[in-house]
Amino acid sequence: MRRFLDALYRYAGWAAAISIFMIFALVGLQVSARLLDAGLRLAGQRPLGLIIPSIAEICGFLLATASFLALAYTLTTGGHIRVSLLLHRVGPRVRHVFEVVVGLCAIALSLYMTVAMARLTLRSWNFNDVSYGFIPVPLALPQGAMTLGLAILTIALVDVTLRAWLHRKYVQSSEA
Amino acid sequence: QTSWDMPTPYPDGNFHTRNILQFAEEVGEKTGGELTITVHANQSLIKHPDIKTSVRDGVVPAGELLVSRLENESPIFGVDSVPFLASSYELSRKLYDAQRPYLEKLLEEQGLQLLFSVAWPPQGIYAKKEVTSLSEMEGMKFRAYNLGTERVAELAGMVPTQIEASDIPTAFATGRVEAMITSPSTGVDSKVWDFLTHYHDTQAWLPRNMVIVNKAAFDALGDDVKAAVLEAAAEAETRGWEMSQVETAEKTQALTDNGVTVVAPSEELKAGFAEIGAKIADEWKASAGADGEALLQTYGGN
Amino acid sequence: MGIFELSILLIIVMLVALATGLWIAFSLSAVALVALASKPALPAAQVMATSFWSASISWDLTALPMFIWMGEILFRSRLSENMFTGISPFVRRIPGRLAHVNVLGCTVFAAVSGSSAATTATIGKISLPELQKRGYDDRLAIGSLAGSGTLGLLIPPSIILIVYGAAVEESIARLFVAGVIPGLMLGALFMGYVAVWALLNPDKMPPREARVPWRQKLQAIRELLPVVVLIAGVIGSIYGGLASPTEAAVVGVALSLVLARMQGALDWLRFKEGLLAATVTSCMIAFILAGAAVLTTAMGFTGLPRQLATWIGELGLSPMMLLAALTLLFIILGCFLDGISMIVLTTAVIMPLVVAAGFDLVWFGIYLVVVVEMAQITPPVGFNLFVIQGLTGRDLFAIARAALPFFFLLLLMVVLLALFPDIALWLPRTMFSA
Ligand code: NA
Ligand code: NA
Repeated sequence: MRRFLDALYRYAGWAAAISIFMIFALVGLQVSARLLDAGLRLAGQRPLGLIIPSIAEICGFLLATASFLALAYTLTTGGHIRVSLLLHRVGPRVRHVFEVVVGLCAIALSLYMTVAMARLTLRSWNFNDVSYGFIPVPLALPQGAMTLGLAILTIALVDVTLRAWLHRKYVQSSEA
Repeated sequence: QTSWDMPTPYPDGNFHTRNILQFAEEVGEKTGGELTITVHANQSLIKHPDIKTSVRDGVVPAGELLVSRLENESPIFGVDSVPFLASSYELSRKLYDAQRPYLEKLLEEQGLQLLFSVAWPPQGIYAKKEVTSLSEMEGMKFRAYNLGTERVAELAGMVPTQIEASDIPTAFATGRVEAMITSPSTGVDSKVWDFLTHYHDTQAWLPRNMVIVNKAAFDALGDDVKAAVLEAAAEAETRGWEMSQVETAEKTQALTDNGVTVVAPSEELKAGFAEIGAKIADEWKASAGADGEALLQTYGGN
Repeated sequence: MGIFELSILLIIVMLVALATGLWIAFSLSAVALVALASKPALPAAQVMATSFWSASISWDLTALPMFIWMGEILFRSRLSENMFTGISPFVRRIPGRLAHVNVLGCTVFAAVSGSSAATTATIGKISLPELQKRGYDDRLAIGSLAGSGTLGLLIPPSIILIVYGAAVEESIARLFVAGVIPGLMLGALFMGYVAVWALLNPDKMPPREARVPWRQKLQAIRELLPVVVLIAGVIGSIYGGLASPTEAAVVGVALSLVLARMQGALDWLRFKEGLLAATVTSCMIAFILAGAAVLTTAMGFTGLPRQLATWIGELGLSPMMLLAALTLLFIILGCFLDGISMIVLTTAVIMPLVVAAGFDLVWFGIYLVVVVEMAQITPPVGFNLFVIQGLTGRDLFAIARAALPFFFLLLLMVVLLALFPDIALWLPRTMFSA
């Protein structure tokens, strides 16, 4: 189970990283095409005018996908920030109570977000909502990825909270 | 007593927004405060791309958006943006009348109802030099933001370039784009004289905004309130079209006043664009199916 | 519930959520849900989902992970160290020495990036470890980073000036030009503070390095070369018409990859590590932005910021008193909302007051940005603080305390702008005189 969960977070994190890389690749291609055109103009040739259609929208969708698929991985590696001032000042018993209660609140909120996002995705799917630009991208695709990311985050929060409760292992903020 | 939140995409000074603010006020007066509408302009509550879905899903009961934003859902939504199909207020109004039944049908499928729709000023070509024929535009970097504008660029031998609206000044200043097609309003709002010199009054098309309501929210109103809303909407539509024409005159003048050279398109340029327009209209008809054909028949008929 | 009771309730909920250690993005969402619950007719879940969606797909936001990634690549290469050894012989005699790098770095980087989060994250990733390694005071390093990171908003290109320009129909080109001098002045103010602090606290400064002969100085310039190429490449891609300010971030990543590779500091492992680290940081910020977006929408529905602004309008103040009142309003709102939200939620009410009081709209835009810069470093909701917490793991309030002097310097800038409007207006007037 432990290994399965860790792999789940890691693979989702990797999917997110690949989305970020795709933004890099798409924009990089677009800028290269412009560079090529500038060269052609200098050489007195006709520019090709290659464009990556809907690049702004698609990169936005990739960013949303990346941001949400990485949620669980970010949580378990201590990437999500919180105010720890009080947590470090109270005794271990009070801290334990805080950690568990906060975990439960976060689970409730995350579950709420997952359901809300899932319903938005479902509506987009049912109404066949598409994006506005050159390429009609079904909105349910990136929204589905966001829902999936929130669902994995909910699982990770249950995982983290259980560990806090049973083993007193708390998520550490990463120290640089 | 009911109160509605109504998101709109454009800033407070925009004539669409001013018209809607007056509409909201009149609804309040006509219903004796039964229904009050709070307008949230400039995407401050909901972003433009999400206004339609937010009204449909009941997040807000009413909202405003650009009709042709929905053209990927059905070509019918995009008929007002077919270049050179209706290039005057008169023709644009005629096209709207022909489109309206199909528009309402499409909206109704999503539980939406059309209240009114108002045209933007006609679209003209902005550039850093005067152009008198299509051949002079060849190779120019032209701002394309949807399939229609990309097709115009392609057929005119220009190089289509994607520029986000907020990026227009920087893009012109740094030479990423050399020409664009938009209204005198947008031109004045983005102070084009800071970065370009010529405006060609081609009147290519008149895109429209529409104000829509959630059908369920509307039906939940009392009968006299409903009637008052519809009455105010009809008045807002008439007023909006008048405001739009005043806007065209004022903003074209403002372009001149600020040193932009406003020119009427040469016969040669007009003829070139008419040819392109006819081609795109044919393509539109092919994609819009039976409804599209019927729409154009109504438009061309009376 | 009245608007006053609701405000108090929301502030209490936020402080309790944050104090108990609930993650910040969740805290913001929780406060938003409480605010939405005050309007029971609203479908809160749908409002939340829509806000998440529209806040997360922003094209302008895509520059953020790119710049963060660039910082990660530089951090893993020798470039960041080169930069420090390259600069250090030249700042040896200036009080504060390398403690100025945050201000200098952020000022230069602000000309590339349009957001303060990207500026803070990129420069901080490189500078904080190097400053710590060299024994510079932590609080000064963190404070100067938090403060000067906000210059990303003022020195063009600037996302927030674009938002403001669109809202009030003012020329974005003029706004950009107007931001240059105030931005440089702020940079100078920050450096002045760093120098004075260094003179007053000689015991907290690391020992001075040995004098460097001329030949070694030339050597040092060579070390700086890759960094110069990088910055010139990114800025050049914008002004050469190859990339928009958003796309320029990608040019930065590409150049960093090439330079790191040329140094032999880029293998497959480091590439993966850098990408994954950038993904984590940008996920953290994006999730907080999503939470902030729900809160903004909820605020829009409750009408709270609008009513506060209306209340100020009804006081019938003189122009200078109005400005003081607005500054206070924005400082308070800025503790709980992010800058752009503050502007879009209040412009409808505030702009007529501002116009009636006879303020120049370009000037007011610059004033607003400086006030928003202050909001970036005030707790509990301050995005520069979040970024630095992500970088250092320090507590939010400790970072805010370190940033406090820079908050007051920004306030001083507001006063200077009010007294001498030409600080902002001279350059656009000169450049655009027809
Ligand atoms: Na900037
Ligand atoms: Na703040």
